[in-house]
Amino acid sequence: MEPAVVISNLEVLFFGKAVLKDIHLSLWPGRITVLVGPSGSGKSTLLRAINRLNEFFPDCQTRGSVSLHLQNQYHGDIYQNTIPLSDLRRRVGMVFQTPAVLPFSIEKNITMPLQVTVGLTGSALTERMTRALQEVALWDEVKDRLKSSANTLSGGQQQRLCLARVLALEPQILLLDEPTASLDYKSAARIESLLLNLKERYTILAISHSLSQTRRIADRVCVLRQGQLIQEMDRNDMADIRTFQGLMEAAF
Amino acid sequence: MLKINPPEKWIETGLFMAAVVSAVAIVSILLLLIYFCLPLFSGNGLSRVFSWRWQPIDGQFGILPMCAGSLALSILALGIAFPPAIGICTLVHVLSRGVFARIVLILTHFMTGIPTVIYGFVSVFVLVPRIRSLSEAGTGFSLLTAAITLAILILPTIVLVCYTRLEQLDPVLRLASAAMGFTPIQQMRHVLMPAATKGVAAAAILGLGRAMGDTLISLMLAGNAAQFPGSLFTSFRSLTAHIGLVVATDSQSLAYQSVFAAGLVLFLLVAALNLIIRKTDNRITANAFLRVQETRHEQNF
Repeated sequence: MEPAVVISNLEVLFFGKAVLKDIHLSLWPGRITVLVGPSGSGKSTLLRAINRLNEFFPDCQTRGSVSLHLQNQYHGDIYQNTIPLSDLRRRVGMVFQTPAVLPFSIEKNITMPLQVTVGLTGSALTERMTRALQEVALWDEVKDRLKSSANTLSGGQQQRLCLARVLALEPQILLLDEPTASLDYKSAARIESLLLNLKERYTILAISHSLSQTRRIADRVCVLRQGQLIQEMDRNDMADIRTFQGLMEAAF
Repeated sequence: MLKINPPEKWIETGLFMAAVVSAVAIVSILLLLIYFCLPLFSGNGLSRVFSWRWQPIDGQFGILPMCAGSLALSILALGIAFPPAIGICTLVHVLSRGVFARIVLILTHFMTGIPTVIYGFVSVFVLVPRIRSLSEAGTGFSLLTAAITLAILILPTIVLVCYTRLEQLDPVLRLASAAMGFTPIQQMRHVLMPAATKGVAAAAILGLGRAMGDTLISLMLAGNAAQFPGSLFTSFRSLTAHIGLVVATDSQSLAYQSVFAAGLVLFLLVAALNLIIRKTDNRITANAFLRVQETRHEQNF
């Protein structure tokens, strides 16, 4: 199987200062890769390099290449303008640390982006919304109050709504920037089990600050320090908790 | 235990006194206006003041044409200023956030400080002849001329209030919509503007209030004919200009008293707008509104 994302020789600079350098990383479908590292090590920047969201921030330069290999659709370096930015960002979905619900109804949170970016209408739109909400196990909780404001949902529900919103756009790659950081234990556990269910169909790159969470969901762990990938671990390295902790401590 | 030292207590007392004085002043102005209007309530004064004819020589002192004039002028000015204001906000908030955006914002700030008389003066030489050649009849001193000039005057107010409100939105909204593939324009149209509806509405009402309270622009550019503003090219008179004109030339008759009615109407209109802003958007304080009014009036007289 070929990787869905191939990052090679990636360097990202903000205001002329390198935040990431010499990054080589491949991501495969059906696997969850978790990025760990101290704050400021460039984890979010690496995530945002894959959907070109770093360009959203002032004075950012990206060198090297990030190639996507999407099923039957697209091959190529996203930094060579071979894929329109809005297409790229739909194919590469992103979930943020704090639930970024739009200040609209639950329904509109999912349908509006579909209308605007894909142009879906009518029953196709409703179907896509229902499916997305079912995928994140939110449908039963919200089906009777789709018109009420998304802000009335709990933090965990909001984050699942954000995940549903991203899934409704039918991405192939998911970028998760500490998706459970602002949630309580139970809500976090729900998101984790969702991710384990979803991983068959997506290529997932996540950031986590929790080593126990990393151990539970990761197929592969990449350690970033001062903008460089300094270590990779697979499930074998994580099998024994002591060894894993030892490796992590050495890495940090 | 926390002890309040004397200077702090003085400051507190001073501020309290200042607040009381301000409140008393506003209430007194209102009471004074009502008091001066009282003679109108005797006889048929009221029906003579709230009528459509202003012909002092015939004993007709209707201020309704001026009320209509003020409303038409401020609504038209808002209509002209609002779309470009939203455009400027879009430009500086999502399209260009760098040096260019900063320059635009600095210019907008600068515009708020330009004395009204400059706008009026420039307009007399630049806009009036062009409007005159556009219309078949008339002098060019018209509703349209005054409205366009007033639109330029209120534009920065709308832009700055709107922009402030947009900047107060959670930045993750923009980031999330960008991450879903929204173009900057789509972000603005489908996410940011709807999220800031109340602030945008408050900005519009603030602009409207400011347009309604302005005196010099309409005095210089509207032609000041005391008639109903029937078309864009007709000359008309606003309430504010009316007060200025009558007070400057008269001090006895019913005409003079009708000025207080005009003042009362203006006061109530502006107070109503103020109230709507308070209801619409708590984050934009009524203070900003009053401040704008005050600075304008200082410049006018």
